[in-house]
Amino acid sequence: MTDGSQVGVIFWFLSFVILISGFMVVSLKNIFYCALFLVLCLFSVAGIFILLEAEFLAAAQVLIYVGAVAILMIFAIMLTTDMASKEITQTNENVTVGVFVSVIFAISTILLIDKTSVWRYQDHDFSEGVTVTLGKLLMTKFMLPFELVSVLLLAAMIGAIVLARKERS
Amino acid sequence: MESQILTLVTFFPLLGIVLMLAIPKNQHDSIKSICLIVSFITMLLSFWMYAMFDPIANGMQFEVDIPWITSLGIHYHMGIDGISLLLIVLTSVLSVLAILSSWISITKAVKGYYISMLLLEVGMIGVFCSLDLFMFYVFWEVMLVPMYFIIGLWGGPRRLYAAIKFVLFTMFGSLLMLVAILYLVFAYQSYSGEYSFDMLKMMELPIAYGPQLYLFGAFALAFAIKVPLFPFHTWLPDAHVQAPTAGSVILAGVLLKMGTYGFVRICLPIFPEATVAYLPYICVLSLIAIIYGALVAMVQKDVKSLVAFSSVSHMGFIMLGIFALNLQGIEGAVLQMINHGVSTGALFLIVGMIYERRHTRLIEEFGGLAKVMPVFATFFMITTLSSIGLPLTNGFVGEFLILLGAFKANTVYGIIAASGVILSACYMLWMYQRVIFGKVTKPENEKLKDVNWREKLILIPLVLIIFWIGVYPKPLLDRIEPAVKQVLTYVSKATTVNIGEGIQIDQARTTDEVEIILGEVDPVKVGSEGMEE
Amino acid sequence: MEFAFPEYNLRLMAPEIFLFLWALLIIAYDVLTKRKSETTAGYLALAGLMITGLILGFTGTGHGFGNMFVSDTAAKFFKIIFLGSAFMAIGSSFGIMREKIVNHRGEFYGLILFSTVGMMFLSSSNELLSLYIGLELTTIPLFVLAAFFKDDKLSVEAGIKYFIVGAFSSALLLYGISFLYGLSGTTDLVQMKINIAITHLTFQNIGVILILAIVLVVAGIGFKLSLPPFHQWVPDVYQGSPTPVAAFLSVGSKAAGLIAFAKIFVNGLFAFHHPDMAPNDWGRLVALLAVAAMILGNTVAIRQTNIKRMLGYSSIAQVGYIMIGIVAMNALGMAAMGFYIFAYMFANMGAFAAVAIVEDKTGSCEISTYSGLARTSPLLSATFAVFLLSLAGIPPLAGFMAKFYIFAAGIQAAQHDPGLYWMYWLVGIALLTTVFAIYYYANIIKQMYFAKEPSPHKVTYNFPALTVLLIGLAGLFVFGIYPEPVLHFASGIASSFGIIP
Repeated sequence: MTDGSQVGVIFWFLSFVILISGFMVVSLKNIFYCALFLVLCLFSVAGIFILLEAEFLAAAQVLIYVGAVAILMIFAIMLTTDMASKEITQTNENVTVGVFVSVIFAISTILLIDKTSVWRYQDHDFSEGVTVTLGKLLMTKFMLPFELVSVLLLAAMIGAIVLARKERS
Repeated sequence: MESQILTLVTFFPLLGIVLMLAIPKNQHDSIKSICLIVSFITMLLSFWMYAMFDPIANGMQFEVDIPWITSLGIHYHMGIDGISLLLIVLTSVLSVLAILSSWISITKAVKGYYISMLLLEVGMIGVFCSLDLFMFYVFWEVMLVPMYFIIGLWGGPRRLYAAIKFVLFTMFGSLLMLVAILYLVFAYQSYSGEYSFDMLKMMELPIAYGPQLYLFGAFALAFAIKVPLFPFHTWLPDAHVQAPTAGSVILAGVLLKMGTYGFVRICLPIFPEATVAYLPYICVLSLIAIIYGALVAMVQKDVKSLVAFSSVSHMGFIMLGIFALNLQGIEGAVLQMINHGVSTGALFLIVGMIYERRHTRLIEEFGGLAKVMPVFATFFMITTLSSIGLPLTNGFVGEFLILLGAFKANTVYGIIAASGVILSACYMLWMYQRVIFGKVTKPENEKLKDVNWREKLILIPLVLIIFWIGVYPKPLLDRIEPAVKQVLTYVSKATTVNIGEGIQIDQARTTDEVEIILGEVDPVKVGSEGMEE
Repeated sequence: MEFAFPEYNLRLMAPEIFLFLWALLIIAYDVLTKRKSETTAGYLALAGLMITGLILGFTGTGHGFGNMFVSDTAAKFFKIIFLGSAFMAIGSSFGIMREKIVNHRGEFYGLILFSTVGMMFLSSSNELLSLYIGLELTTIPLFVLAAFFKDDKLSVEAGIKYFIVGAFSSALLLYGISFLYGLSGTTDLVQMKINIAITHLTFQNIGVILILAIVLVVAGIGFKLSLPPFHQWVPDVYQGSPTPVAAFLSVGSKAAGLIAFAKIFVNGLFAFHHPDMAPNDWGRLVALLAVAAMILGNTVAIRQTNIKRMLGYSSIAQVGYIMIGIVAMNALGMAAMGFYIFAYMFANMGAFAAVAIVEDKTGSCEISTYSGLARTSPLLSATFAVFLLSLAGIPPLAGFMAKFYIFAAGIQAAQHDPGLYWMYWLVGIALLTTVFAIYYYANIIKQMYFAKEPSPHKVTYNFPALTVLLIGLAGLFVFGIYPEPVLHFASGIASSFGIIP
């Protein structure tokens, strides 16, 4: 593929976009803009996945998060009266503590990861391509969690319906 | 049947609880009768046990040993020696009297009250029978709940405070004891390879000096709170004054004895070296308790709190007797446990009787009762004298033996303790004089009724016991002696180890020899030297 | 690459599959009968749980789905607790079905059963991925259940709060799991135990990154377990949720968190418990959290005026005690952990059932409501008092045996391993806080029994709630006096985690 320096540039660029758009999502006052920045953020994450040669993950990211989740959110915002034009405050009095804890956590995480060299993540044979391998794994070794997710989705769906339904009186 | 006598005596009151649960709560008479009958049968069973008890035999009798929770080596292990025998009999007798005494005075939640009384009896007898540390702990704790209810539900004006204070104090001590028990169990496991909670096995377990100090401390704290030894006594006056009469009787008569019993049964034989090491401190605290209790009792305005503080003082005597670490001292202490149960129990009953009539216990409210209630005054006189320890009453025998032991161990302790006897005579007689003699100053006192047949029925057995032990204590002492010797052989191991003179005592030796050897090495003096440094 | 299907061994999964289908059946039944019956759905749910229990009894041990699903003693023991707590939660929910939940009775029970299924899968999972999904399946229905009173502001607040905290903690957990995967190259817990140890030995030190993974996983599961400082949601959520749901949260969901915790730490990070592995040791970290839980839970509970909040803080404290068993990491500790949660189930579910009965009658959960209740409702007061005494650890109730075992495990660990001498302090603090605990438990008993005026309320029992009370009562006495069978069973938990006694 591309040589190291180019990958580095792209990686830094994408990371920068993720950080900025992520920050925008949690700080802007207009919820519609927040949703748009979320789309941007999720797209950039998909870019990172491509850099890591995880094409399937990138595609899934775009399809599910951008295509389904974020778009649904935008629909919901547009269809709800006044939501798009309303000014909202996303912070409360705990914001300083929150920022403080997050910054400490981020710095220590970066430092700790930086100091570690013992990784053992190369475990699978991807010679057939990531998507094929993943598919096979999901159908064989990881069949149980794969099936469990469907139960989980069903439970979540029933829960959502219960909460959303209008009560008969 | 005979081999299961301990199980029977301990759990017989449970039958009464089951029966009472089946009865509607408004049928007061049948509830009371069942409770009385059941406790009476329990008392008869304990008498039968006393009759079957072999006074000469060494070691535990009527032993039952059944595996219970095998994964931790917990056994249902019961057995008694002379010390526990007498305390069980005392418990069963006082329970009957306490139940009789509440016949009229308890009017609310009758069912709950009598259930609590029987539950309490189970716990108390269980503590004295248990030879398994786990069982001992369970019975020890089981009593907290009924006592909490008895004080909190049927007590005086500050009952809520007194009840929770009682529970928290006791619980704090007993949880420390639990940790010490667990430590012992795992130490025993490293030593022998199996889990066991058996007290008798623990007595054979060699424990290093350092841990022994901690373990003794934990056990001693739990027991000292229960005794209560100065400065852990602050819960006692509250609990006593607020508890209903029967509660006070049980509390003073039996519950406090569990602390001293614990010292004799567990602390001394299992931690002999630590006993010697702690000895001077405990003796000094006991002496403080004797003097302090007496002095505070002297200034009390309320008869009941006067008796409560006199308990602190008397329990100090018992502690001193135990830690004299000689035959007379411990024998006297055990006998005095019984005596204190009888005479203080009787005093609380008497205080309860005048409280029922006048709804006050303040000394200044009375005066001249001798003219109005002559029989009552007589009973009061006898118990007062017994409490002081006048010759021919039971208190004399016990106190005499304790003082003898104390003098033998350490003359200074003996002298201070003897002064406590004088103080006790002062406050008791002074109180008696103010309540009974003189003119009838208050008009309310003029029409008081003398004791009725039910109250006589309660007091006469106690008076008989007072005189019996006072005149002829030999049967009791005979039964106590082998048990005390047994304890002393364990303790003597320590004195030899500690001093390194290589004196060995085995069980086969006679009392006199044990005494002589103990006299030679004199643990009290060894201990007191340690303290002076 | 050929498809290599693992051996499924579906029969091991029979209880889970049955319960899942039964939950669907209940929902379908309720919808199809136009939600007419107040109680049928509830009884169906109870019956389903009982049948599942029976099936569980006949299910053998072994592995399924390769090594992904495991049915061993630990899994079975915890499944009994999940089923039991679900049973008791549902049993105490019949009161709210009458007026408060009219339109979604089937869904209410269905979601509780879904959550139970999640817990059961969780306790059987042998690998991080299915463990995580099991945990999600446990919590997602609970978000909805917490907010089930849609008209009640507090309930909705509880649901949202629980949702946000739950999602956040799941993210932390997932992040931690990803580090664990990165370090070991596997999600299988047994394989992970081996791989990490090998890495550690080959490279002399695995590097400080492991402590990050440990902290993240502790935080992630700490939220579910309500270990301080991750406990803030507990009182609000308990107060706002429907009482049976709060009860289920306090026992079922905690037991699920506990088994997840034990699986990851005792199994996967077996080697990194001891302080010798510093800075990568988790024993002292968890001990510290346990101390915080015991002190905070027991002291703050004293000041509560709402009984559900009080029980919430008390549950925080109880988790602190359980953690002593895990930190001890010996055979006794594992058995003690199991027995503790078992005894806790009877006491706490019983206590919440009593709260639910009172709430159905009075509509209030304030402690002052209980004043003088003993005179009008003696049975309820007596059983409630027994539950509280068991929580406080008074013999001869099962709660005492549980505390006894926990302390025993702690002391054994301290005595046998000089590196764990600080366990003495842990046990010491546990003792002291137990004394505090007695104060607030006794306070409720005081309210019920020692009040001057009798309560104006006289509670009425519905049959299932009464059954729950009696089950709790019987459980506490039977397993307090003769705990041996359960202990024997629980001692198998240790061997499930590879700890040899």
